[in-house]
Amino acid sequence: MNLPKQPLNHKIFRYTITSLIIVASIWSAAGLEITLDRLIDAPKQVGILIGAMFPLDMSTEAFNRIIPKVFESLFIAWAGTVIGSFFSFPISFLAANNVAKGIVSKATKQVLNIIRAFPELILAFIFLPITGLGPLTGTLAIGIHSIGTLGKLSSEVIEGIDEGPLEAIKSSGGSKLNELTFGIIPQVMPTITSYWLYRFEINLRASAVLGVVGAGGVGQELINQLRFRDFPRAGTVLICTIVLVLTADAISATIRNRIIKGKVTKS
Amino acid sequence: MINIPPKPKASYLIKIGIPFAFIFSIFSFSRIGFNLSDFQENLSNRKIVTEPLFNPKWQWAWDNTYLALLETIQIAILASIVGCAIALPLSFYASRATNLNKYSYFIYKSFLNLIRTIPDLFWAMMFTVAVGIGPFAGVLALVMFSLAIMGKLLSETIDSIDPGPMEAAKATGASHNQTVFTSALPQVLPNFTAYFLYIFELCIRASVILGLVGAGGVGRIIETQRIFLRFDRISPIIVIILVVVIFIEQFSVWIRKKIL
Repeated sequence: MNLPKQPLNHKIFRYTITSLIIVASIWSAAGLEITLDRLIDAPKQVGILIGAMFPLDMSTEAFNRIIPKVFESLFIAWAGTVIGSFFSFPISFLAANNVAKGIVSKATKQVLNIIRAFPELILAFIFLPITGLGPLTGTLAIGIHSIGTLGKLSSEVIEGIDEGPLEAIKSSGGSKLNELTFGIIPQVMPTITSYWLYRFEINLRASAVLGVVGAGGVGQELINQLRFRDFPRAGTVLICTIVLVLTADAISATIRNRIIKGKVTKS
Repeated sequence: MINIPPKPKASYLIKIGIPFAFIFSIFSFSRIGFNLSDFQENLSNRKIVTEPLFNPKWQWAWDNTYLALLETIQIAILASIVGCAIALPLSFYASRATNLNKYSYFIYKSFLNLIRTIPDLFWAMMFTVAVGIGPFAGVLALVMFSLAIMGKLLSETIDSIDPGPMEAAKATGASHNQTVFTSALPQVLPNFTAYFLYIFELCIRASVILGLVGAGGVGRIIETQRIFLRFDRISPIIVIILVVVIFIEQFSVWIRKKIL
């Protein structure tokens, strides 16, 4: 006999969730010694900090220091994405369970999961003594982390393909390799390319941060200026980063839209 | 004779984009300063890292980490709750479906976009300067982080809600606020819960590294050991963190499946 599942009692469920959230936040706030007056005071403190940043430091000397760093972040993000997409592309075929055998696919997926679990910053400071202070470390850290995330996303795209074209190729005598090159790759390429661009947007933010551990990029500049209490220049660093991220996001989003939705034909 | 249709021409995006991407990649790699001989020389130094990395000091790590780890989890819990609570009303203002005023919509939307461009660690650095070193700065940084993500996800969900119930509420003579409360809010609440759990997972991941800039949590211990290159102490900490993070994530994924 097929018994339908008894639905959760919504009222009890709702009260439990609410009380759980309240208890959790009180427990956390107490553990961190956060009092209400500190919380109320915080916006004022932030206001003072932001006030100290204006007027921004617009001297050429500041820009000569900051602009190369900002672009270094851009290059790190791009190169890291290239590494990530280059290596994740073949790996994602191994991870897709409709292309590779079950055991290979499961093992590859686990490997990708493990890679993905390491944050970029932790990878960066493990590499730091080997590859030295500088953008190379950041690139490797971002590249390796991207292999994990892109591999997972791409393999999911490959798993979701339409089997029809593959059947057509098989029935016309195509080999396994033909299936791959004519059946799968044309189907998945647009989505995977847009994932690469999307990853580039995320990596750009990550690469800005990497400078904190000395792995190149604009983060180093920001933390130095904040440590020396040179707030106007820290403000300039922040604004430059925001402009870069916004521009890169806008360009990348336009291209992604065009790839996914196709050419807009006037009718 | 079969008429074969001509192959469609490649679009400009492909004609220009692919060579451009290729050239830009080469340029980026050259600017990063990848130098094979230096790399090989440095690679001989790898023993500094790899030897202690694979000789973890478990006892030390556990004795010194568990309190900081608890702090990390508390930061993530508090920040995701506060951040999402602030984001809930904000995203209604930042959606075209529920905010009728074009200008205030634009202001809220730009505000959310702006705070989204600043990376989490930049927030942490600024808050450590503003409110002092400690977990409180970390909480505030992650509040901004979760506010930005929740604002984007939720306002886009509100954009795509079914307008029917809102119309029905309006037809009964409800004011705009009543309409939003009775017909738009219930539609997005399940999504809100799912996003909240997702953001909680992100916060747990992000809170691990907050300590690197002095914003509390387990990153503080990693940072001090990193400066002394004690990789034999760092590696077990990282493993412990990974296990805890993965465990909490699995728990959150399980709840998300239960709710939806």
